[in-house]
Amino acid sequence: MGSAHSVPAEMRELADRTGFTSEQIEHLHRRFKQLSRDQLTIRKENFDSIPDLEFNPIRGKIVHAFFDKRNLRPESDGLADEINFEDFLTIMSYFRPIEMNMDEEQLDRFRKEKLKFLFHMYDSDHDGKITLQEYRNVVEELLSGNPHLEKESARSIADGAMMEAASICVGQMGPDQVYEGITFEDFLKMWQGIDIETKMHVRFLNMETIAHCY
Amino acid sequence: IEGRGLAEAKILSVWMILSVVLVLLPSVFRVSLGISHFYVKIVIKIFEWATLQIEEGEDLFPHAGIIQREETSMEEEIAGQHQGRFNLADVMYFSKKGCEAVAEDEVTQRFSSEELVSWNLLSRTNANFHRVSWQLTLVWVIGILIRYCLLMPFRAKCWLGNQVQLICATLGVRCVSGLVHFHNRENRPREGGICVANHTSPLDVLILASDGCYSLVGQAHGGLMGLIQKSCMQTTQHVLFDRSELEDRHLVRKKEHIADKAKLPILIFPEGTCINNTSVMMFKKGSFEVGGTIHPVAIKYDPRFGDAFWNSTKYSMMTYVFNVMTSWAIVCNVWYLPPMVKEEEEDAVHFANRVRAVIAARGGMSVLPWDGGLKRKKVKESFKEEQQKKYCQIVTENGSVGNGSVC
Repeated sequence: MGSAHSVPAEMRELADRTGFTSEQIEHLHRRFKQLSRDQLTIRKENFDSIPDLEFNPIRGKIVHAFFDKRNLRPESDGLADEINFEDFLTIMSYFRPIEMNMDEEQLDRFRKEKLKFLFHMYDSDHDGKITLQEYRNVVEELLSGNPHLEKESARSIADGAMMEAASICVGQMGPDQVYEGITFEDFLKMWQGIDIETKMHVRFLNMETIAHCY
Repeated sequence: IEGRGLAEAKILSVWMILSVVLVLLPSVFRVSLGISHFYVKIVIKIFEWATLQIEEGEDLFPHAGIIQREETSMEEEIAGQHQGRFNLADVMYFSKKGCEAVAEDEVTQRFSSEELVSWNLLSRTNANFHRVSWQLTLVWVIGILIRYCLLMPFRAKCWLGNQVQLICATLGVRCVSGLVHFHNRENRPREGGICVANHTSPLDVLILASDGCYSLVGQAHGGLMGLIQKSCMQTTQHVLFDRSELEDRHLVRKKEHIADKAKLPILIFPEGTCINNTSVMMFKKGSFEVGGTIHPVAIKYDPRFGDAFWNSTKYSMMTYVFNVMTSWAIVCNVWYLPPMVKEEEEDAVHFANRVRAVIAARGGMSVLPWDGGLKRKKVKESFKEEQQKKYCQIVTENGSVGNGSVC
């Protein structure tokens, strides 16, 4: 005898697509219901009820990422007003740790997906490029709220980082060359050789249900 | 037919006499017959047997949460690979933290009833304990019958108590089969002091009131609770207010009350709302600014017997009362701690934290830096800024900016 109830088809489909086990999906579903106050969808306001998230300087970008259609479905764009549980799971699955049984191709795809998620966080106007201004925005958010920090310092940090990015992606630039912005390919180049798998994942625990056979 | 009527009348009268002898009289004279103790002992034995049934050959449900968080702090994770430059990886770190927070957070867990590791035959338990042996199910059914048919009507009769506060409270405690252990009674609050305790449910008031007379400061409730409050107001001096009113008015009234030494000690729950008894949240500094002696009291419920926690945003008073009445018993420990006074150089916040630490240590609860008001409101801006200040220090410390310290 195995588990007392058979796993419904849509649950299995969700599990396959997102890589979570059915127990984890159940647990996350309970969390979803808690956040949505038993509604079927979540809106941005529902994220206000998470105190731990208030700590986070890029809270706005994180919440935005949940509603960013580019993260929810391939080849789509724009912002959603509300998301359902399936979308919620999809976003959470970006933070899955790598599995032991993944082959080269899967690993590569996995990595690209995570980096794409990050890229979308930076590229706030959805034009496929991270411009200097967008980069500055991210740095300012990370350092924002601090009354002692001058705006100039945040700027110079961003400019320095941008120049470094340019040198990696384009090589030496002439004096009148303008660096348009970081495209996704450039972004990938910047991350070559850097191990993101250990940085960008959340350790979801594998929970066994207690099965009785009598 | 007459014979039957007579027999029924006899049963009824026996029932009445029993209830007077076993419940009312001892309450009036504040004597314990030891019946509660015996009852609780039996209940414990049953639970142990039930847990054993489940435990046999299986692993107990180990973790209430879904995430294993990293033990390293922000400094270690970011600064470690910084090399003096601002780095895209920092965004990664914060987005990971953000995802963890969305999946699960400490605070919200405190506001839902504590999940029990074992099963106490009430319905509040892990969702996974639904596969049980037939013996367990039988016991559970019997338990339901006893609780709903025997215990509850008995208690419902007792629920409408009389005017005198002590008798009323003691009766109330007996009615919910409350078994309260008082420790260190020599530290009990005297006149003119402020008694401060951690808050889990309205039963806290009942329990403390059965052992001493207090003047209550509390949230004015509507409905049934409001009626009870009004009747209490008629017999003793209480201060009722609304949570949303301004602080200064409370301060004034409290000061007046304390100044009159002849009045009863004030009972205050500085957390401001009911917490689920696993931790003590931030104390509101209002009560600690008034001056006077603070008598801390720690109240810890034994969760095996019944969940005393009242989530007022989720359950109405009646639902809560029903839950309490149909639980096995309310067993709790009350520790009276030695009185504390605010020191000269101390500010109210620091003093409040000191008192809170003492209460939490006694009751075996953890101390959270969070505000009980989070049950209803958002986080203060100052917390967020702290985190950002910290991050800023790490980034600029490593000499990336070059124009001195900016944090």
